Amino acid sequence: MNDNGALTKRIVKESARLQQEPVPGIIAAPDENNARYFKVVIDGPSESPYEGGKFKVELFLPDEYPMAPPKVRFMTKLYHPNIDKLGRICLDILKEKWSPALQIRTVLLSIQALLSAPNPDDFLDADVAEKWKADEKGAKAIARDWTEKYAHET
Amino acid sequence: MASSFPTRTVVPRNFKLLEELEAAQKGQHEGSVSWGLEANDDMSLSRWVCMIIGPTRTPYEGRIHTLKVHCGDRYPEEPPAVRFQTRINLTGVSANGNVDPKSVPSLRNWNRDMTIHQVLNDIRASMSAKENAKLSQPPEGALYPSQ
Repeated sequence: MNDNGALTKRIVKESARLQQEPVPGIIAAPDENNARYFKVVIDGPSESPYEGGKFKVELFLPDEYPMAPPKVRFMTKLYHPNIDKLGRICLDILKEKWSPALQIRTVLLSIQALLSAPNPDDFLDADVAEKWKADEKGAKAIARDWTEKYAHET
Repeated sequence: MASSFPTRTVVPRNFKLLEELEAAQKGQHEGSVSWGLEANDDMSLSRWVCMIIGPTRTPYEGRIHTLKVHCGDRYPEEPPAVRFQTRINLTGVSANGNVDPKSVPSLRNWNRDMTIHQVLNDIRASMSAKENAKLSQPPEGALYPSQ
């Protein structure tokens, strides 16, 4: 690939900035053997059912990045209408709304925002979304319970 | 920068396995083999259950053979472990259903670009091999003891 050098430079730059000026509440470190693979920990946003939890996320920059979006997945189990049982995330900027102007940083911020504002109308997990719409209070109680159970390991 | 960029992009384990899962769900294959996660909430993406429909004009014809495939932490650097769940009389399958990696080309010459799909295709191809043409088969539906 001809512009591989330029793309690589972009990844190096983004990666360095993530270390130097980390996003508050998010730690992102590149894998020592694979500069396109990041292990991320996102703090559950305050005043959300995920508050107090530490959520492990993995992020991979495919060959086509930044023309194609990063691939992102939760590794910590959580109860959320836009995240499925395998940790896959339903977020428009990771699909049709992706633009090369976006960055790893913006993706991680959007995921953090998704934890604060679940959107049961654009669901990935139908069961969770149904519960969320029918009984938001009950759904949030389950989400808090799961945060307690699965997002407190270190 | 300590991190290095290999000349070729390496897809990490979990994203590769998700690709394999999506390929199965999109059904971009002939339908004589299938593969999927044993539990739909297995976040480790380790335990797979697979099926092979026996090829016609072989002793395996007309049966659905089920297999368990285990992808360890080192997958895809290391090949998956494969065993039959339904009893079968096939060269390369041990008395307890384990598939000998040496008997399957994609397991024998494994590299990280190989897939569960290829392994299943290879096993299915071996069902048509001459050495297996006359093997009598256990009763349909008989299972190996679970391990």
